[in-house]
Amino acid sequence: MSAALSLFGRQTWLYSRFELQRLFLTPRGWFALAAFTTIWYFLLRYPIYQASVQLQEPEIQQMLSGMLGMVGMYNLLNWSLPELSVYWALTVFFMPLAVLFATADQTCSDRSRGTLRFLTLRSSRDSIFFGRFIGQILVQALLIGLSLLATLVLAVWRVGELPLSALNAALVIWLNLLIVLLPFTALMALCSALVRSSRLAISLAIVSIGAVAGLLGYLVWHFPDLRVVLEYLPGAQLPMLLGAQGWDTLKHCGLPLLQTAVLLLIGRIVMQEKAL
Amino acid sequence: MSYLIEARHLSKSFGQKAVLQDLTFSLPAGEPIALIGPNGAGKTTLFSLLCGYLPASSGELKVLGHKPGSSALFGRVSALPQDAMLDPNFSLLTQLSFFGQLQGMSKAKALAESRRVLSLVDLAGSADLKATALSHGMRKRVAIAQALMGSPELVMLDEPTAGLDPVNALQVRQLIATLSGEASFIISSHNIFELERLCGTVLYLEHGKLVQQSAVQSAATQGYVTLTLEPGAYTDVLPQLRALPGVIAVSDSQKYEYVLQFDAELAPDFDLTLLMALRQLGWRYRQLTKGQTLEQQLFAVTAKQA
Repeated sequence: MSAALSLFGRQTWLYSRFELQRLFLTPRGWFALAAFTTIWYFLLRYPIYQASVQLQEPEIQQMLSGMLGMVGMYNLLNWSLPELSVYWALTVFFMPLAVLFATADQTCSDRSRGTLRFLTLRSSRDSIFFGRFIGQILVQALLIGLSLLATLVLAVWRVGELPLSALNAALVIWLNLLIVLLPFTALMALCSALVRSSRLAISLAIVSIGAVAGLLGYLVWHFPDLRVVLEYLPGAQLPMLLGAQGWDTLKHCGLPLLQTAVLLLIGRIVMQEKAL
Repeated sequence: MSYLIEARHLSKSFGQKAVLQDLTFSLPAGEPIALIGPNGAGKTTLFSLLCGYLPASSGELKVLGHKPGSSALFGRVSALPQDAMLDPNFSLLTQLSFFGQLQGMSKAKALAESRRVLSLVDLAGSADLKATALSHGMRKRVAIAQALMGSPELVMLDEPTAGLDPVNALQVRQLIATLSGEASFIISSHNIFELERLCGTVLYLEHGKLVQQSAVQSAATQGYVTLTLEPGAYTDVLPQLRALPGVIAVSDSQKYEYVLQFDAELAPDFDLTLLMALRQLGWRYRQLTKGQTLEQQLFAVTAKQA
């Protein structure tokens, strides 16, 4: 039993590490990094920098606080640097969508190309499925870390110092973003196991989210008592998350972790049963 | 006795279509095993079941005593799956060494092993290329190379020489013949002559059923010779051959090719008798083979069953 677990752990780690190799050592990975850098250059240069400068104005701060307070996001401007506030507000909504596209090809093209047939003679389908998923998380952790670092550098350039509280806030945001993205990455692991191309996986994910939301909306319209079900959709905790501050934000991590576990469990079953 | 492969009442259906029906067979380790059958007979499906790519609909299948796809078979069973390609984003060396690491090798050993198997298929110079830069034949050879990584006990090759030029096909056949002492091979092919040269046992599938499982050279060699004459004008070939002492039956399987069945006890030196008769008749022969060809053996059986 322990030998099997050790083999599973070793092979899963090999697959995860190979995803980093895919990012840093292949032309496809370099294009992804170049696109990431370009997008972040524009995000930092315009919305984040400009908004941070504007947020220094007491009138604007007061007006925004009032507006955000009305929608329960009164803590959004309380991060130690305005750059981090803007970063947090932007990424928490934009990154889940980006992740749907970036992590669509976890196993599907390998299945359609037949590469999975080479792999399954040497490792379990579980190792492949979970290894690729963890690999995507590692890539996200690294890229979110880099973008946060760039945001901090921008803040230091503006204010001339880096308060310790800003480092702490950056760590909280990093961890929260990773948790927010987990169910979306798991959803793509499941969709990737179901179909044979990344385009189909993205379409399937978007249609599934839309269909589930539509169905639940219809049910809630007719049976208002079911409203509570809407709170279990992926990303449903985001408005509450924006209303929290500091390490207190982690109290909202239960739902995404549970969603991730359920999606991975279904994905694992699909991966086990699917013909190669 | 432990078998390489044991199948009991194995069936596989896709929806309403039964592709494999109630296969029961056992294959011992040893000489290469041929998997033969016409298109749609179920060869690739059987391969996929043996490799664990597909689950069986019913019945039991064991490879080296384990369920296909089991972790106990990692590194012990390898395969050349039909139409499978490597990842186009990485070089051959990177991918093969990754396979080696999955099989438990250290990075250095996996790299050395990758170079060794690439040399076996004459692709050592292409180690840094990507799969997209290779021709169809080169891709096939890389896929064969990956099947030889480590020390597999069972190597399953689905159409290993399909799409290869004659020189490379010969090289692959020689490679299989050389390695057949170290590992057991199961080879699926349409090239019956290739299988005849390489394999000791034949599994003949037709319409998803096992029509025949037999040794290539055993029963067939007893009391049969196959004679191929040089093209020319011969008269009364069949009566002349039937008149030879010890002959039971003669059939012309192809133009200028005759299969002679004889009583091996009555005529132990039948081949010498035949050669002398050919000399007396002034007939020139191109080939004289002991036994029936695999093709004759299989088609005789299937024709009788039909």
